[in-house]
Amino acid sequence: MQDFIDNLIRSWGHDPAAWPWTQFLYLAFMGAAAFIVVNFAAISAGIFSWAERRVAARMQSRVGPNRVGPFGFLQWVADAVKLLLKEDLVPAEADAVLFRAAPYFMMVGFACVFVCLPFSHKLIVADLNIGIFYILAVTALIVVGIIMSGWSSNSKWSLFGAIRSAAQIISYEIPAGMALMIPVLLAGTLSTQGIIRAQGGWPWQWFIFDNPAAFAAFFIYFISALAEGNRTPFDLPEAESELVSGYNTEYSGMRFSYFFLVEWGNMWVMSAIATTMFLGGWQLPGLSPARFDALTGGVAVIAEIASLALFAFKTLFFVFVVMWLRWTLPRIRVDQMMNMCWKYLVPASFAGALFVAAWMLLVHEAPWLGQAMRFALTAIAAVTVAAFALRTLKNLRDTGDKFDFTSNW
Amino acid sequence: MGAYAKNVRDTAKSFWEGMSITLSYMFRKPITTQYPDRVGVPVRDTIPARYRGFLEVDMDICTACLACERACPIAVINIDVVKGDGKTRPKLNMERFDIDIGKCMYCGLCVEPCPTGAIQHTREFEGAVMHFDNLTLRFVPDPTNPIPAYKVPKGSDAFPRRPLGEITRKLIKAWDAPPPPFPSMEEAAKAKEHGAPKEGGLDPSAMGRQLAAKALSVKEDKPKLQKVLEEAMAGTDCGDCGYPDCFGYSNAIAQGKDTATDKCAPGGADSKAMLETILVTLKTGAVPAPATPAASGCRSA
Repeated sequence: MQDFIDNLIRSWGHDPAAWPWTQFLYLAFMGAAAFIVVNFAAISAGIFSWAERRVAARMQSRVGPNRVGPFGFLQWVADAVKLLLKEDLVPAEADAVLFRAAPYFMMVGFACVFVCLPFSHKLIVADLNIGIFYILAVTALIVVGIIMSGWSSNSKWSLFGAIRSAAQIISYEIPAGMALMIPVLLAGTLSTQGIIRAQGGWPWQWFIFDNPAAFAAFFIYFISALAEGNRTPFDLPEAESELVSGYNTEYSGMRFSYFFLVEWGNMWVMSAIATTMFLGGWQLPGLSPARFDALTGGVAVIAEIASLALFAFKTLFFVFVVMWLRWTLPRIRVDQMMNMCWKYLVPASFAGALFVAAWMLLVHEAPWLGQAMRFALTAIAAVTVAAFALRTLKNLRDTGDKFDFTSNW
Repeated sequence: MGAYAKNVRDTAKSFWEGMSITLSYMFRKPITTQYPDRVGVPVRDTIPARYRGFLEVDMDICTACLACERACPIAVINIDVVKGDGKTRPKLNMERFDIDIGKCMYCGLCVEPCPTGAIQHTREFEGAVMHFDNLTLRFVPDPTNPIPAYKVPKGSDAFPRRPLGEITRKLIKAWDAPPPPFPSMEEAAKAKEHGAPKEGGLDPSAMGRQLAAKALSVKEDKPKLQKVLEEAMAGTDCGDCGYPDCFGYSNAIAQGKDTATDKCAPGGADSKAMLETILVTLKTGAVPAPATPAASGCRSA
């Protein structure tokens, strides 16, 4: 970003180091970038709220919201406007200051993540050299917001929800962090763009298929991310049947919508991190990063848009998987959730990190082994996906139904 | 260890199956059919024939017996009857037949006493409107143009009813129809005359004296006396008096078997006053002098 502005100033015939307006231009571009990113986060969260309702409806043989705009697409706008206009209620016995502040902590912790999330080859707000570490750090701010909202609401349901959520997020940050360390080991950098560049465009060049431990690490990360985002089957903090919606029970109107904005926006965040770390990010097949950098003119623009589309496609696929899981799996118990984290995921992620370290030494000695393992894992994954698709088709046919995705929208 | 491995296998398998089943439903046509604009046939045509929906009155076969109005426990039905002399105007006319569907509780008590089946439940049920007043169904569209009561042909037990639902469907307004106009000051001033006897209408006290004079002349001829007495009644054969028809009641009075004058419910206060005038005349032998106009009673309430 800084390079881009410096180049811009040079093209105007000034020296960025000496030109007096350089700092103001930096500031203006930062403000614009922040505005775009926060709005991207908010709008994507809104669209996911609509998408989730439509996906949920179809999976349950319902129709879902389809009245506002084409396919009900503007439903989320209507909902947002309604929530903004509603009364912003603070319970009488609540700690008003903390109660009011809590949603902003959530929003800040959520929006800060986007600073380091890549969107395409060039499109990233700031490619920090500690990128993924920064993301893990600012995500912790969400816990503060949740605890604040639960405590200040002065309601037992809110407090239960907040404590469950805090316990869950803090526990699952360990396997999530360790699982993310495996791509970091493989890439040798913490920078998100650096990790993507260390991978390749073809599936067997992705880190997920690099070795069995990385393959497992992807699932460990995905499970932990579900838990951190309070998504089913780990939606204990929001268990409607037990806690009346958990830490946000007492919230209404705009502040309530912040919590849900964060929850739905987190789907993009967790999916984008998975894409970045394990699935090759924006890498186009057959176009190495070095050749990508060398592209100029119209080809560069087309490649840029293609990389953006590919990254968005991979991310949205995982957003869909998160929704799909929500409408498939029941909620697990608190003890099961804790067991899973501490007894299985934490040891597995540590073991995986050790395995990858050893594997890297081995592959250094015998590179053919690394290649063979990549192709083998990719083949296994492809066969699994095909078998799953056939099984789905069989389930569809077995009930005498036919494939019909287009009618009754 | 075997059980542990089995648990792991079961978990993986249930994920595999569960995920493929939910995904397969994603690609099916949803079962839900959305009401009201995406149903194939109107919903009213799919519900059972004896469903108790909005009421409907076929004014062509309504005898104006007021049985439904009396049966209604919550005064949902309002009927205004005006009497004619039988020559220039029909004997019974309905100026108003309103059913407030917004108040109706669909008990069906009005349907049961109806002698001709004019009032029936339809299968209409969609009453979501912006203005509550639009839910009052007015079966007499124009009060200045009253609808004559149906005279039941003797001995008939089937009546030519229009297809059920046709009339009510026309009366139900669109959900966003404007409310009926509120009377302006001028109209309200005009309405002060409401209730005063209308020209060409019936003056019950005059008619009572007329009938009494006629009755006095045929005092001994029971069948003729019965005819005169029946003329004082509403003539709807509603059976509310306890006799099968108007003939039964008037005959009982003529024979001296019944002395109650208030049994003719459709005739109301008018019939009661006329019958009383006749009975008093028969007893005293002289027609009573005309009373002051104020005491002449009003039309059926």
